[in-house]
Amino acid sequence: MEEKKLPDVLKKETSRRDFLRGTATAAGGALAISAIGGIAPKKAEAQYSVQGAPGTKPYAQKYRFAERQNCTGCRSCEFACSLFHTGTVRPALSRIYITKYKDIVDVPVMCWHCDDAPCIAACPTTPKAIQKDPKTNGIVLNEKICLGAKCMKCQEACPAKYIRGNPDTGQPLICDLCGGDPQCVKACHEQAGNPQGPCLMGRPVGLGVNMAYRSVTPEQAGKDLANLLFYPNVEGKRVVPAKTKKGR
Amino acid sequence: MATPKGGNFGKVLEIDLSKLTYKTRPVSDEILQQWIGGRGLGAYYALTEYKAGKKPFDEDAFVFVGPGPLSGTMAVSHRTCFVNISPLTGRLNHAECGAQLASEIKFAGWDGIYIKGKAKKPTWFAVVNDKVEFKDASKMWGKTTDEAHEMMIKEMKDPEIRTAVIGPAGENGALQANVIVERFRAASRSNTGPVFGDKKLKGFAVRGTKYAVPVVDNAKFLAAARTGKEINIAGEAWEGLKRWGTGGLMELKHFLHGSLITKNFQTTWYPEVVNIGGEEAARTFWKRHSSCTNCPAHCLKLGVIRDGKYRGLVAESPEYESGGLLGSNLGMKKFDEMTALIEACDAYGLDNISTGGTLAFLTEAMEKGAIKPADLDGLKPKWGDCDTYMEMIRRIALKEGKAGKFMAQGVARMSKQIGKGSEAYANVVKGRELAAHDPRGDKIRAYSYTMGTNGGDHHEGQGSKALAMTAMADSLCSCTFTSILIWGASTDKIVTDMLNGLCGWNMKPEDYWTTAKRIMTAERLLNVREGISSKDDRLPIRMYKEKLPAGPKKDAIFTEEDQKKMEADTYGFFGWDAKGIPTEATLKAYGMDAFIGELNAAKKKYNL
Repeated sequence: MEEKKLPDVLKKETSRRDFLRGTATAAGGALAISAIGGIAPKKAEAQYSVQGAPGTKPYAQKYRFAERQNCTGCRSCEFACSLFHTGTVRPALSRIYITKYKDIVDVPVMCWHCDDAPCIAACPTTPKAIQKDPKTNGIVLNEKICLGAKCMKCQEACPAKYIRGNPDTGQPLICDLCGGDPQCVKACHEQAGNPQGPCLMGRPVGLGVNMAYRSVTPEQAGKDLANLLFYPNVEGKRVVPAKTKKGR
Repeated sequence: MATPKGGNFGKVLEIDLSKLTYKTRPVSDEILQQWIGGRGLGAYYALTEYKAGKKPFDEDAFVFVGPGPLSGTMAVSHRTCFVNISPLTGRLNHAECGAQLASEIKFAGWDGIYIKGKAKKPTWFAVVNDKVEFKDASKMWGKTTDEAHEMMIKEMKDPEIRTAVIGPAGENGALQANVIVERFRAASRSNTGPVFGDKKLKGFAVRGTKYAVPVVDNAKFLAAARTGKEINIAGEAWEGLKRWGTGGLMELKHFLHGSLITKNFQTTWYPEVVNIGGEEAARTFWKRHSSCTNCPAHCLKLGVIRDGKYRGLVAESPEYESGGLLGSNLGMKKFDEMTALIEACDAYGLDNISTGGTLAFLTEAMEKGAIKPADLDGLKPKWGDCDTYMEMIRRIALKEGKAGKFMAQGVARMSKQIGKGSEAYANVVKGRELAAHDPRGDKIRAYSYTMGTNGGDHHEGQGSKALAMTAMADSLCSCTFTSILIWGASTDKIVTDMLNGLCGWNMKPEDYWTTAKRIMTAERLLNVREGISSKDDRLPIRMYKEKLPAGPKKDAIFTEEDQKKMEADTYGFFGWDAKGIPTEATLKAYGMDAFIGELNAAKKKYNL
């Protein structure tokens, strides 16, 4: 039996020659589009897993991390999240979302599952409407108790400015880690292939890194990214053309 | 008149700019099954509402902005289709672009946006779920596409709204003008820019939070969508596309295919491509990959110029077409200068392809002495002269002076005015400038240029079957890269599986082909009504007369035999006669009996 392997996009190299060959196949495919039987997948049944290296035991994904530079803004995480939680694709109900900064960078906005959980601390109800599931580390919302749009103390308390309101019920959209198997991480690993690799990762321990992540708001993250990638034009302004008036 | 059970809402948003009102235009499941959406639905509207000779600037001329049934679902589908009568060609044309707009229209609960009428003063409108708000655009008028886009975001206080705007070129009615979607994506080949400009419509913004696309059989649909996506993810073919975008094709087409257009199609051999192609971009320019909705191919590359005159220029560059038309076709030797030209076109809202074709044509005409600098208000274009080209682009966009007005009409009209044998190097098909693939080196591309509805469009399918498949992909609003080009012969099965699960239809793989042929034949009928026949399905004169002087396809030429073979193949496949006119039997077979009278009238009128 063939060993199930990680789609190790990080290690995979595409040389110039591979590229030419790849595109030549593609162009050839275009040429003979009626003749080819589709460009078959490399593996008959591609298996994607983020549960550790081959042969090792799957681990719990209690924390998520994001390599923000790798986000391409495809929003497959949003799609997977809303499909899992509501059964339909409706990104407005997703518990993770992508926002744009100055049109030039995409910033994934997500729950970092802070160890001290300021959102839970801020929740005014007794018992708390949002609670951490000790097994999965996900934050679970009790819709019956939650006060909804008129409260939103959790939203105010969130240091990462992550929590959004559900447009239908007004209650917070908060990440429960899909009961231990975050769909967003899976979708990201599948989707974001060569050359940069996935953005989202799931790990069993936070090591305090998640606490560092949380102190960055989406806007600050966007600013950082723009600065990192688009120096010297960190605002993403158009440099040409300057003249839109007639006559000079 | 059944309402759709899945895939569509059965509601098209109808905007009337004359009255500044909107209403729901119901669309039945039967119609959607026959015409799918996007391009197909646009063709259906034109067929049923327009009489022959419809003018692009008529008050009731529409622009149809369509997503397809698959948009906003787990399937890979993210294109938005713009359908309207093109002022450049005078025929119904369509253009597709990527980004997030299509799915956002679906999440707002609409199957498309149908825009008609003319506003009295500059206007834009915002669609937020069920509501439409008309807004004053007088402050945006005259602003570049990115500025208008930013102003819309500011006014809506929502960075996630999706916009489609025109630039100054569209406002001034330059025929090469396009619509720019979300700053970096362009729907160009329908020349929607001047139509919006004529309607005094700066653009629109869409935000959808309320709806999800209904699915009839979730398990079945998700499995089929999964199959389609899996091929994209695991297949090796697009590793290159993911890494290099289409910019990487520049070297490939130059070194291997011999079809990189150079200096107005004079040759395909351009060794300087190493300084303007994908490799140079990867070395010095590209910074990140950007993707459309739910797409694993992330083929758009963004970068920033670090040094020189254009320091700080953030751009999406080069795509194969933009790099070909505004790079090698103009003899550009420096990457940053080529990128600046591309970026200027995008900012002004000009089609890179038509604008590049216009500049190259004028450069050659100047070289051959057909025009003099005095004809262009003193401008003297030379191959590789960035500053002059930049100034020409500005004058086209603003229609400034005699030269601006002259150049803003596109190659076909300019060549007619110039005369002096300039039609020998006017590279147009049915009034539209050719894209960046030389059909002498890439012969199969001639299908797309000549047989496609738009004419001169590189994106209509290479081969007779591919023409049908592309019509279907554009109606489903899926990108050809992530659908037909990679699914190949299994496309019909994958698509019908998806549609059956999604919409509750009972389509067989054969029905895929029937639908595709119906859409193509309807568009052909619309073309025939305007007098198009096999005499127009021809490449520019140069392709039949001049051999390629150098490169891997040295001495290649597009022969009359090639032409005959292509015509017989296409017409036969679609059921059209030897002159490229759909036969009565064909119209009947696709349920278009009602239009046989019009067909015969057109045949009589144009003596076909």
